[in-house]
Amino acid sequence: MSLTPYTRPLSAEDAAHFLRRTAFGATDAQIRALAGKDARAVARHHLNFGQDRASGNPFDPAQAATPFAGVQLTRAAWLYELLYGPHPLRELLTLTWSNHFVVGTDKVRNVPVLAEYLALLRRHAATTDFARFTLEVAQSPAMLRYLDADQNRKGRPNENFSRELLELFTTGIGPYTEKDVQEGARALTGWTFRGGRGNQKFLEASEYFFISREHDGGRKTYLGQSGNLRGEDVVRIAATHPATAAFVARKLHRAFIADEPDPAAVAASAETFRRTHGNVRAVLEELLASDHFYTQRASIIRGPVAFIVGALRTLGQPPLEPKQLLNLAQTAGKMGQFLLQPDTVKGWDGGREWINDTALLTRMQVAASLTLSGNAPKLETAPTPLALLGRETPLPGTERLNDRQRTYLTLISPEFQLA
Amino acid sequence: MTTRRDFLKYSALAVAATSGMPGFLARAAAQAQGNGTKTLVVIQLTGGNDGLNTLIPYSNGAYYAARPTIAIPKKDVLTLTPDLGMHPALKPLMPLWDAGQFAWMENVGYPNPNRSHFASMAIWHTADPTQAQGDGWIGRLAEKIGDPFCASNVGGTTPQALRASEFSLPSIETVDGFQVKLPQGLEGAFESMLNTPRRGEAEYLSRATRQMMANTARVQQNVQKYKAGATYPEGRFASQLRDAARLIAAGVGQRVLYVSLGGFDTHAGQRADQDELLGILAGGLSAFQADLERQGLADGVIVMGFSEFGRRVAENDSAGTDHGKGSVMFALGKSVRGGIHGDSPDLENLSDGDIRYKQDFRGVYEGALTRWLDLDARAILGGNFPGPQWLA
Repeated sequence: MSLTPYTRPLSAEDAAHFLRRTAFGATDAQIRALAGKDARAVARHHLNFGQDRASGNPFDPAQAATPFAGVQLTRAAWLYELLYGPHPLRELLTLTWSNHFVVGTDKVRNVPVLAEYLALLRRHAATTDFARFTLEVAQSPAMLRYLDADQNRKGRPNENFSRELLELFTTGIGPYTEKDVQEGARALTGWTFRGGRGNQKFLEASEYFFISREHDGGRKTYLGQSGNLRGEDVVRIAATHPATAAFVARKLHRAFIADEPDPAAVAASAETFRRTHGNVRAVLEELLASDHFYTQRASIIRGPVAFIVGALRTLGQPPLEPKQLLNLAQTAGKMGQFLLQPDTVKGWDGGREWINDTALLTRMQVAASLTLSGNAPKLETAPTPLALLGRETPLPGTERLNDRQRTYLTLISPEFQLA
Repeated sequence: MTTRRDFLKYSALAVAATSGMPGFLARAAAQAQGNGTKTLVVIQLTGGNDGLNTLIPYSNGAYYAARPTIAIPKKDVLTLTPDLGMHPALKPLMPLWDAGQFAWMENVGYPNPNRSHFASMAIWHTADPTQAQGDGWIGRLAEKIGDPFCASNVGGTTPQALRASEFSLPSIETVDGFQVKLPQGLEGAFESMLNTPRRGEAEYLSRATRQMMANTARVQQNVQKYKAGATYPEGRFASQLRDAARLIAAGVGQRVLYVSLGGFDTHAGQRADQDELLGILAGGLSAFQADLERQGLADGVIVMGFSEFGRRVAENDSAGTDHGKGSVMFALGKSVRGGIHGDSPDLENLSDGDIRYKQDFRGVYEGALTRWLDLDARAILGGNFPGPQWLA
């Protein structure tokens, strides 16, 4: 069974909801431009993004003086793309995948390697072939380095990547045994990368490389399939396993529908995923045009990056100084979401996990700095309740305030924290 | 600067925020049991700390045979007993060991070990190896005490251990930054915005905001009392321990404080990484203990440390170790019975390359709950778990 399509033309509030969920938020004018349109056409149009990038990005990681600076610049350049880029949905999906195929800058600090990883996630943001996407990630120097897959040798396997491939990237816990982890590691022996190793070579490119003498060519049994399996085989078997459809579908629902997804709706998306052989784009098009999508309101707690990007896109993307952008990237980290640096390979759990005293305090400070402080961006027009809240009526208690005060209080309201 | 009037107002807000919540303040805090002057500090070593290279069986040939490149050479081991010694980076802890105030719990784990970081961490956090529970053992403890501020995490994100059914206990990134300054003239509007009735996640968020206002007021009321009594090393972990000392000195009323140190997932190049991390751990803990001593607070504080699992006995080909099962726990403080509690693992009788655990971690928790915090451990852990006698 598929998800029921949403058949009514979009109301202004529907359009606001769509853009909160797929573009971090938008201005009143951007929202009203979608009102009256057909849900399927809107979803298709927004998924039809190219690979073009924001113009005028002030951050060039290739100019970094140290590995640490390279990471900072990579992070700030990505935040710039999130804030000002032409395809917020592509960037939101890139962020979602970076929280699925996790790599962390605690281990991966090579500038071209990080750039290639982000380019790969952008290219496959709405992938039509999840198995191919998984293989490209698995063979990216970023992942090879992050989960020690480049250290996995014949006779002395390193299980790190093999375990996470199953537990976190494909089937999730349940369908596999410890034996599968060990056999997968054997099949993946011999993968490595060359170039760009070590702190000195943080600006040198790396590439995937296979050392056949380090590969264990013996017979393995993996998720019920036996043979002289190679690394490519186990990645394909894992990525096309029926459980992977449900595992990935649930993640997409967590990104677009609710912190606590509805199991029946997830099952419907999983079925579409299986029917289309891992065509994520098809899954998303159905999902973002479904009745389910339009009825699930205020069910996702916005994370730190979504909070910052959402606030600024709602304010009409006012220009900020590079220093302010670097600060915002740090502040997102203080609130629990350093881009490219989740606490663990599991990524950010999200939902209520985003909320604690320090995070709430920091959200209040960010809101004040964007609205009330001396260097708050100048605004042509004040954001309307529709842009800030996704509804036409302002919050009780804010009616008699000036625009800046009203915007500040609305940004720290529970309603703004939710998408 | 929060005034006393603000404090009372926000406390009232927080009471409003927590009423109707099972177990929290709805039962009068007067019913809270336990001795309110004792604090338990929990240290989490995230990523799976290699226990065998922390508490080293230096007389055991099987240990050296399994780890040709990463074993700690005998000459570097800090000898504790004829068979066991500490990693050299733990040297700052030797005076505590010598004073009988440092305990190692050997070979701690749980039935049906799980080698996933996350599943295993969840088991330690919920004290439930069946993984049926969502809330944490400290969250349940806080519900028993009936005070939503009786346990806090010092750091950025609240660990699962501090989750209660309707509630997250606070996380305090830094004590100095833990205050709200509402812009002038917006207090009234802020309150009416916040006090609008809500449902679902919006209600959760407004409650969390009100609770945060109350928590910050409570900390800032008291924190001025602290004057550092020791020099702490540089770095985040040590400064979080200093903040823990400040909270204890302030007498804010926290019974449990939680501090984490990450990076123990040493699949490759273990020696460099673990050596550095154990140095950070020992430097921070010894400064913390010295600080408490000088403040005259050391009698009321114990530290208990754990990691989600140990590592495989044999090293891998990357001079690292893969995920294992049982590992060591540690404790320190004036009320701790120093020494080694429990038997060392048999390195020649392994389970799939891992040591077979002998002590259930819930038995170690139980000691802290009953003998230190004076609480009914059965209600929190869902059973009785006899464990080592690590508290005086």
